Amino acid sequence: MFNLSSLVQKAQSLIDPTQALNLSASDRNPAKSTLFRHQFRLPDSQTPLQEITAELTISPPIQYSPNATQGEKDRDRDRGYHYAGKLHLSESYLCFSTQPTSFLQTASTSTSSGFTGQTHGAGPGGNGFTLPLCAIRRVERLHSQSYQFALAITTWNGISNNSANETSKTPAYQQKITIQLAGSRQACERFCDGLKRGLKSGVGDVGKLKRVVAECYSEYLLQGDGKKSGEPPDAGLGMLFRYPGDARKLRDRSKMRLWGEYLRENGRNVTLIRQPTFHKLIRVGLPNRLRGEIWEQTSGSLFLRLEHPTQYAETLAKYEGRDSLAIDEIEKDLNRSLPEYPGFQSEEGIGRLRRVLTAYSWTNEEVGYCQAMNIVVAALLIYMSESQAFFLLSTLCDRLLPGYYSTTMYGTLLDQRVFESLVEKTMPILWEHLVKSDVQLSVVSLPWFLSLYINSMPLVFAFRVLDVFFLEGPKVLFQVGLAILRINGEELLDATDDGAFISVLKGYFSKLDESAHPTSTNAKLRAVTRFQELMVVAFKEFSGITQSSISEQRMKHKDTVLNSIESFAKRTSIRNLGPDSKRLSTDDLGALYDRFYAILYERQMRSQMIQEETERRMKASKARAAEVVNGLGETQSVEKGRVGLGPSPTLMDYDGFREFLAGIARWAITDSPTPPEKDPASDRDKHSYFGNSVRRREVSLSPWGAGNPEPADHEFMQRLFRRWDVDMQNALTLQNVVTGIAHIKGKGDIMGSITYFFELYDDDGDGKVDREGILRISEALLFLSRRGLEGSLTPSTSMTGLSEYEAGNGGQTDGPQGTTNERFLSSVSAFIRRCFEYADPDHPQNQEAPGDSGHTDTPDPSALDVGEDSDEEEDLLDLGPEASPKRGKKSTGLPSNPPASGKQENGNQRSVSKAQAEAANAALDPSKPLHITLPTFRMVVLADELLEQFFESSFPASFRISDKLTPPGPASSSSSLTTFSNIGFNRASAASSQAASIVGSSAAGVVPPGKGLRGVLDNIVTDGMRVAAEVRRRMDEAQKELEKNAVHRPGDDEEDEEEGYDGTHTSSTYGGDAERRSVRSEDRDLLEGADAEAMSIRGQEGVSEVKTSTLSPTTPTSAEPGRARSISTATQKVVEFEQ
Amino acid sequence: MAEATAPKPSSSVKLVLLGEAAVGKSSLVLRFVNNDFQENKEPTIGAAFLTQKCNLPTRTIKFEIWDTAGQERFASLAPMYYRNAQSALVVYDLTKPTSLIKAKHWVAELQRQASPGIVIALVGNKLDLTNETSSSNPLGEDGDGEAAEGEDADGDARKISTAEAKSYAEEEGLLFFETSAKLGTNVTEVFTAIANAIPETSLKGARGPGASQASAGRTEDQSRVNLTGPRDNASKEGCGC
Ligand SMILES: Nc1nc2c(ncn2[C@@H]2O[C@H](COP(=O)(O)OP(=O)(O)OP(=O)(O)O)[C@@H](O)[C@H]2O)c(=O)[nH]1
Ligand SMILES: [Mg+2]
Repeated sequence: MFNLSSLVQKAQSLIDPTQALNLSASDRNPAKSTLFRHQFRLPDSQTPLQEITAELTISPPIQYSPNATQGEKDRDRDRGYHYAGKLHLSESYLCFSTQPTSFLQTASTSTSSGFTGQTHGAGPGGNGFTLPLCAIRRVERLHSQSYQFALAITTWNGISNNSANETSKTPAYQQKITIQLAGSRQACERFCDGLKRGLKSGVGDVGKLKRVVAECYSEYLLQGDGKKSGEPPDAGLGMLFRYPGDARKLRDRSKMRLWGEYLRENGRNVTLIRQPTFHKLIRVGLPNRLRGEIWEQTSGSLFLRLEHPTQYAETLAKYEGRDSLAIDEIEKDLNRSLPEYPGFQSEEGIGRLRRVLTAYSWTNEEVGYCQAMNIVVAALLIYMSESQAFFLLSTLCDRLLPGYYSTTMYGTLLDQRVFESLVEKTMPILWEHLVKSDVQLSVVSLPWFLSLYINSMPLVFAFRVLDVFFLEGPKVLFQVGLAILRINGEELLDATDDGAFISVLKGYFSKLDESAHPTSTNAKLRAVTRFQELMVVAFKEFSGITQSSISEQRMKHKDTVLNSIESFAKRTSIRNLGPDSKRLSTDDLGALYDRFYAILYERQMRSQMIQEETERRMKASKARAAEVVNGLGETQSVEKGRVGLGPSPTLMDYDGFREFLAGIARWAITDSPTPPEKDPASDRDKHSYFGNSVRRREVSLSPWGAGNPEPADHEFMQRLFRRWDVDMQNALTLQNVVTGIAHIKGKGDIMGSITYFFELYDDDGDGKVDREGILRISEALLFLSRRGLEGSLTPSTSMTGLSEYEAGNGGQTDGPQGTTNERFLSSVSAFIRRCFEYADPDHPQNQEAPGDSGHTDTPDPSALDVGEDSDEEEDLLDLGPEASPKRGKKSTGLPSNPPASGKQENGNQRSVSKAQAEAANAALDPSKPLHITLPTFRMVVLADELLEQFFESSFPASFRISDKLTPPGPASSSSSLTTFSNIGFNRASAASSQAASIVGSSAAGVVPPGKGLRGVLDNIVTDGMRVAAEVRRRMDEAQKELEKNAVHRPGDDEEDEEEGYDGTHTSSTYGGDAERRSVRSEDRDLLEGADAEAMSIRGQEGVSEVKTSTLSPTTPTSAEPGRARSISTATQKVVEFEQ
Repeated sequence: MAEATAPKPSSSVKLVLLGEAAVGKSSLVLRFVNNDFQENKEPTIGAAFLTQKCNLPTRTIKFEIWDTAGQERFASLAPMYYRNAQSALVVYDLTKPTSLIKAKHWVAELQRQASPGIVIALVGNKLDLTNETSSSNPLGEDGDGEAAEGEDADGDARKISTAEAKSYAEEEGLLFFETSAKLGTNVTEVFTAIANAIPETSLKGARGPGASQASAGRTEDQSRVNLTGPRDNASKEGCGC
């Protein structure tokens, strides 16, 4: 099980959203495929299919010579550079790196071993290449003596250059690389087979490749020799508004020349091969026009673009004209992005910025837009086209800066924490000083990370940091940050407050272009700028800061950071809940918050697991390797719903609401749980961490989660849901729930509570509840009370009183009885009766009430005769033609469930059944449309002590929020019920299916959906005998229980009982009725099996006597006597009307 | 205490600015600190820190100003900036109704989470976008009521009446101003009023009481991203002047 407090923290999203950080599962034990993709900067579609040790030989470009002899070819091969490393094959890429692969040992699975290394997804730091298979033009198997197995690969290098000359297909610079595979013959063959397959499927992508490559400036740069033709590709706003910085000072020209040479020899964009020079050239700063392309290449966003070359344009087109919060936020910042750069004071620049940010916000709505993205994108747009910037932004948000721009900014906060811990580790004295002076490091460092130093340093220097960042990954941000502090260490130690601290750094950044050693006599040393010094310190002194040390730190601090975000979110969210929330205590609000989001979170997790499980089963036949990989991928996503990570669901649908209620109210737990599909042996706390699919199998497929109580689904709950759903979105927000609960629990006044209930059933809001509604109300009352009543019901007193009364009337009662629950049943039955007594007739025209199919035949005359004492119950309760043959023995009753204890016995059935009969009679008679109004309802409720208590305290109290009373565990609370449901209920529902549906849609829990009152009764009768034994046992238990209680609680209700008894004259008539008694004993038998329903009957039997007591003068209501009188008159009236 | 010729006592006051994005927090600070205004001010990332002195007849207050980022998702960072703050400027844009709602949230958060006794000023900025300022008649704290009444003239971008905001401020016990960072209307007045409202006691000995009070509330925020570990507040006193 999840422990609630941690769960709690997982829920929520008031702050706003984030994207998946995948920290937990993937960082603890990162999926091989993730590491693979990170190292080679590949799109998520790629998985490592094969790998083999190999040696790469890069020959200088040769002129195309198809007739070269084998000897010449060998010579070429020997002439080039050689690199030993590993060759990898994915679905669409062939990758090589000299750096040990970044796969952790733990990432390996049974399918393949040999994935080791420490780079931990650091990026393509090593020498090698990442070659899309569609960029391979030809692969030849070389037959040489020196190598067992060698491949010569010819690429489409420079493919766009011969567009004019399509036929020749001969690139100006043919790129050819040779790879010797080292491995067993079979391994080599297998690799080659895989490669062949990949090449075949890659053929179709050559068109895409051409298109993508055409947007790369290198293609233009390397175009033939001499004059260039055509327009250069878009290399950013810099082409229109100049690039920042002084090109001469930046030695842009000579850098460009060096790059031209490098690219000519080593391939460009997709066919680029990384050799040591490549890294060096990047460290000294990229030339303006190539900068965007190299960023794209090193970050891997180029491959994303290759995958969907048109995605940017399509996204814009698709969402054209649509509005969103993100767009509003973007608009606010458009004019505030690098305003010092002239391009962003122009419509052109602003337009580009707007489009890129907007397009991204649509593709990742969870992130949307975060301030700082405007600055970063503005910077990118100086050097690259819109489409390139779009994909680079995706790469940034999804991979390089995970969680930075999310709605909780989780990644940012976490990395600040990591940065602090690195400072503490590497510069303990400075750290000590910071702590002592109470200086908040993140105040200065947070913007460094969030906007990639772009608005901290002068632009030209920030771009140089970016050059390295895209190549080497996020660790660069840490290295540079640490270097800044190290270099300024002395001065920072003198700074004793935030202000001084900040101004030291401000000063430093403004002098980055100055000499680092202005006073040195060594001219060479004097020439070193502060920025150069910074780079050296960052990458030499802090070379120990690696991707893996950062990942480790992230793991360490992750929970603390998430927890604090979540508790902040909770606090904020609770504070903003509005005036209604003031009616609840802070504890209650906190508990509601926790429960609300816990349920959303759990439900999300469950549906995800169920879905995954289904998928897993479906693809059980798939290739094993692929499955393992997929399994791992899914595992990562499991963590996604955690609040701190970003947007989690905020809306609770009806099913979630049911689950929510089941967690806070006993009555909302179903009586008939669906039997578990499989044994609930799932260990759910482990699922997010394990990476192997075998354990997953244990995941329970129950939609309610293993071990959770299965919620009921009663009409009352639906009404409550609709009532709370004030925004009519068919789902509830936390606000809705809090408001809903506050209205029930927070009022503490009975009138409010009664009104609330009445309104729930006044569907059209006209202040009237019709017959149907009355029946539904009573059903709801029984539904709500079937597990007993809560709060200050003082069951002891009432019960004792009852017992004493019984004792005094031994002749009439022969069973132990009178638990609160039973009495409540009788109250409800009295309630119905009174409702009908007081009801106002509707318009005479509305004669036929719909849905009373059981009454299509002529009403039994006795049924019409509602006069006080006149009826036999059998007659009163017109069971209609479908009634079972045993119906004569059946007592009337409303369906209800037994109290949780399930051991009640009852007596006084006669009067109950009478009342019941009357009620049912009136209720069932379609020829008398009628309704009650709120005042009537109120009066009827107040006329009954138990009902009054119900509305005053037990109903509000049945919602248990933060008190510890919360439902006994799911298992225990339902276990007492299962017997019932299993024995009686299911049968009952089956049998009753033919029964006429009187109360249309009474839902499960009490009455199976669609089964009417009578249907239930029938079933009780039918099934009763079978379970007689069981009932008897329970009755004995109940009796013992009762006696025990009686001893403890002296009663004082006797008077009431007497009074009431006189007051209504009902029970006396039936007091000695032999038949009734026999019915009763019959019922008792029925009871046993029919559980809930049967119980209710019994309870009702005792009702009227108890009920009458409530009319006694001692009842708090002042209008008592008058009401008693009016009851009879009302009844009279009804009778007259009927006649 | 020390009066006449003796140099006026000087103390530091930590002030934090909160409010929705683009309401003009940074612009207010820039106006106060540099008496300058930039049409396209970059959004604040995280927070910015500035200082400025404010001369009162009897003493000098040195404001340590924390200007925070306004976007909703930066809200979780705010506690590390308002930690220990003795005063706060909660800013809204009087042409944007949502910004006042956000401002109210901030006020509520400060009242519950910040140092007890924090002095809060509610500030409606961009007064220049309404008509009544064309008279360049800086509204005193008291004259606002009337000004709000006659404001339905065309072209008036005002969406939040002075009366509405003012009555809210009174309810919550906040100082209240309407300002224009662009024109400089009422800007120094806000800061001066805050300086005056800071109780003498929390100034004496720099941050004596203020700091100790704040440290109680801080434990809660410590888990935030900021530097953790027990801090010695007293060490800060020295740097006040
Ligand atoms: N007309 C007018 N515009 C203003 C005023 N104050 C600020 N602005 C403009 O409003 C925009 C936002 O101003 P900022 O000061 O950056 O707003 P901020 O509250 O600091 O925004 P964040 O840092 O994003 O939270 C800028 O374009 C300002 O020029 C004002 O008094 N009048
Ligand atoms: Mg700002």
